[in-house]
Amino acid sequence: MTIFGLWVINKAGGLVYQRNFGDGLPGLTSNEYLVLAGTLHGIHAITSRLSPTGSSSGAHVIEGESFKMTIFLTATGTKFVLLTTPVEPTAEAVLQKVYEVYADAVMKNPFHTPEMPIRSEAFDTRIAALIK
Amino acid sequence: MTIYSLYIYDRHCACVYYHDWQRVKPARPAIEGGILPAVSHEVTPNTNTPAAVDPSRRNTLMSLSGVVVAVNDEVPRTPLPNATSSPSLNSGLPFDEEAKLVYGVVLSLRNMIRKISGKDEQFVNYRTSTYKLHLYETLSGYKFIMLSDPNADSLRFVLRQIYSGPFLEYVVRNPLVQMDSKEHGIDNEYFRTSTDRMIRGLSVFQ
Repeated sequence: MTIFGLWVINKAGGLVYQRNFGDGLPGLTSNEYLVLAGTLHGIHAITSRLSPTGSSSGAHVIEGESFKMTIFLTATGTKFVLLTTPVEPTAEAVLQKVYEVYADAVMKNPFHTPEMPIRSEAFDTRIAALIK
Repeated sequence: MTIYSLYIYDRHCACVYYHDWQRVKPARPAIEGGILPAVSHEVTPNTNTPAAVDPSRRNTLMSLSGVVVAVNDEVPRTPLPNATSSPSLNSGLPFDEEAKLVYGVVLSLRNMIRKISGKDEQFVNYRTSTYKLHLYETLSGYKFIMLSDPNADSLRFVLRQIYSGPFLEYVVRNPLVQMDSKEHGIDNEYFRTSTDRMIRGLSVFQ
């Protein structure tokens, strides 16, 4: 079980936080990450409309061959995306913890502008402690 | 656990086959010209009035199946029972729109996975709270997409089986099916029946 990366996407589809852990996946430029986050935001909305049985949530887990993306959508529309190895049973729990850290270190920070990129040392260190 | 539907797309991005099983929200027929002919009689635009369709027509076709190998353009257009009578019952998208969305999602996800992994890696599946979408892509660019229960395991092997079994046998080796024509789907009685039998025999299909 390895965690490759964490993204935070705001409710408009903008990438407000992106961090890589380890070197399981190649790094991309920040522009490429922004495009991917926007794409994911759109796909997430469409997947909820394709349900064959009544109303559905958006995609929770997207799997490739060597990694998977676990998506956690908060009530306010912020998405937390965790990139991990395909077998990672704790991904959901980690995302919950990340949300807690986000609430503490970002949302309670009076100097943070909502929906803007997260530049907070406290958030960085607490995320680093959470995901080693 | 169950299986909802199967879509097959060719390398020209067109939906060439559609089949559904225990779908709760039925697909609405496509608009005229929205999909290719011979994709699925269930979602073909209604050109006939329901009264004009002879219910025994399909059975006649079945009894002839010993002779007819492929029924390419004369697919019986049996409309869904409630498609014309009560359109309010199925509030979903028309089939052509839905097919485009499915293809768009799969293509975007495929590109995304490729970009993130940095190598030629395939997108395998995604899961929401009510369904799971599986993809199997052949080297010839055919995409087999299946929607199942969210708790199902990976059904890639099933899609591969459909490809190596019924698809090769009744579509690729069938001289009456125009593959790659951009004008016709690949629907024919044999392919539909044998795919149906294969899916219904699966343990995830109950």
